Amino acid sequence: MAAQSTIRSSRLGRMAAFAGTGARVGINYLKHYGQRSIGSGVDENDLHERNAEAVYKTFSELKGGPLKLAQMLSIDHNLLPAAYAGQFAKAQYSAPPLSYPLVARTFRREMGRGPLEVFETFCESAAHGASIGQVHKATRDGRDFAVKVQYPGVAESLRSDLRIVKPIALQVIGLRERDVENYFREVETRLLEETDYTLELERSMELSRASSHLEGVSFPRYFPEYSCRRILTMEWIDGLTLDRFAKGPADQAERDRVGQALWDFYEFQIHTLQLFHADPHPGNFLVSPPGLTVLDFGCTKKIETLFYRRHFRFLDERLLGDRDALEEALVDLGILLPGDADASRARIRDLCAASIAILARPFRDGFFDFSDPSFMRSIYDLGEQNRRDDSLRGLRGQRGSPDSIYVNRAYFGLYSLLSAIGARVKTRLPAWLAT
Amino acid sequence: MENKEKLLAGFRDHMGRHGHPPASVPALCETLGVAERDFYLEFGSLEALESSFWEDLVAKTVTAVEEGPEWQGFGARQRLLAFLFAFLEKSLDVRTVLLFRFRSVSPLCNPEWLRGMERRFKEWASDLVAHASATGEIADRGRLSGLYPAAFYLHLRAVIDFNVKDTSMRYERSDAFVEKSTHLAFDLLRTQAIDSAFDLLRFFAPWGHRAG
Repeated sequence: MAAQSTIRSSRLGRMAAFAGTGARVGINYLKHYGQRSIGSGVDENDLHERNAEAVYKTFSELKGGPLKLAQMLSIDHNLLPAAYAGQFAKAQYSAPPLSYPLVARTFRREMGRGPLEVFETFCESAAHGASIGQVHKATRDGRDFAVKVQYPGVAESLRSDLRIVKPIALQVIGLRERDVENYFREVETRLLEETDYTLELERSMELSRASSHLEGVSFPRYFPEYSCRRILTMEWIDGLTLDRFAKGPADQAERDRVGQALWDFYEFQIHTLQLFHADPHPGNFLVSPPGLTVLDFGCTKKIETLFYRRHFRFLDERLLGDRDALEEALVDLGILLPGDADASRARIRDLCAASIAILARPFRDGFFDFSDPSFMRSIYDLGEQNRRDDSLRGLRGQRGSPDSIYVNRAYFGLYSLLSAIGARVKTRLPAWLAT
Repeated sequence: MENKEKLLAGFRDHMGRHGHPPASVPALCETLGVAERDFYLEFGSLEALESSFWEDLVAKTVTAVEEGPEWQGFGARQRLLAFLFAFLEKSLDVRTVLLFRFRSVSPLCNPEWLRGMERRFKEWASDLVAHASATGEIADRGRLSGLYPAAFYLHLRAVIDFNVKDTSMRYERSDAFVEKSTHLAFDLLRTQAIDSAFDLLRFFAPWGHRAG
């Protein structure tokens, strides 16, 4: 029962934790430059590795806001070097458990009844953690339930956490606050939504109903009668999380089938519903005999048709060959600003063209083999290259639409998952682009 | 209703309405229609009545948690957590009185009207410590162990202090405070941290030199 004792309670405590990380990152830099000056030949990757560990350690001690932010950042290859991404991706699995009396207390506070008054059996230790809550197994009337219970006070401390984490995250990544302000606002909005399980219940039911016709994808049943603001109850599903499935002994045909289901699910949500599951983390998907089960609709994103059209226009191959049309499309999306000098304009345009050429590759031939490791490698290399590019770093102004964060996150997550599975999937362009 | 309950409820109502204890025994008795003589048969003074009021809150909490279906299976850490959460829940019934009384009192000072609560809680905490020693959750430190109930009482007062200042929705932050502080307390009691601290104190104490 070594639960929770390391989580900082007060704002001051959190500040102290972050200051600690700052110091650790600083010390790592000192060590790095020290070693370099005596010529021991450590490379920069090594440094990122160690800093990522220090930053990650702090994030995981804090739970809640910073942890979600870390996860969010980890998935945006343009914002973080590869080493950070690796560390942050671990975040979801390392949350220490809440004590059972606190779980019982949350039940009484929110539902007016203890867990054993609501269910026949209720497992005192959590089956697994989630970044802002944990899941318990319960039974009633011969049925198994997965009951997600939220940490108390997460919603309360989220805002102040973000205010504290922002300058540090910016410094670690090397961005200017003014330039990414609207991105942080978008992230904050999504994070606050995630603390509202009532909203999550609605969205889960809505999205699973809308997607119920998809082949190979299923959704747990939800139980509004056992759910509220801080507690969410759904049907218990046995299965392997996607990362364990990926490492398991599944044959190619099964990998292809699961991968295809995943691809179809995202295609339908993004291109048809324009409302999607924006948390493509391996822990949010289970593979069981009937197929792929999608869990956790805590983070969903709705996009407007205007933005959708502007964003996915880049899938059109003809656009990449036409400089003027490409620039126009980039202006529409706010990536190019009216005040940009010609040189930087051309520079951004070419970089975008290079990014798009890679990211749109799965759509080109109606079929894509994600088991080829060179694809993800080229995405990481691109991110790394952009990060090191000083001419990009010197660019000022807010660029792009904050809506793109979660669209990119969804696609980057989808590509990572499919690569991890090693799936070969049938792909196609959205109908309005295919003609 | 028996006079005792009637007087306790009357005290609560008075505190709620006026924000201070009744001025005198006759003043309270008059509003309640209780003979003064009957008051003194129950309580020696107004302070004794209030002391009994807070003691009651602890006693009710103890009854509530020990009746819970999970109680027998709980270790000491979980029992303390369960007690504190139940205490916060019960205290909602008398929140107004709690606010008036505890907002201005430091957790370190111990007024007359809290004697009953202190006694009743320390009794319960002694049982808890015995349970914890039996399960090995805290180390037995000979005479020092006698101080544990007092330390847990201080913890309870800190929780009340946090709770009366808490402005979060449904006092969620109080729950988080209880969880975190209890874990810290037990982690400290389980390890050698306390022994090392005392060892260091002894080293600096003036009588330490004579031994060497």
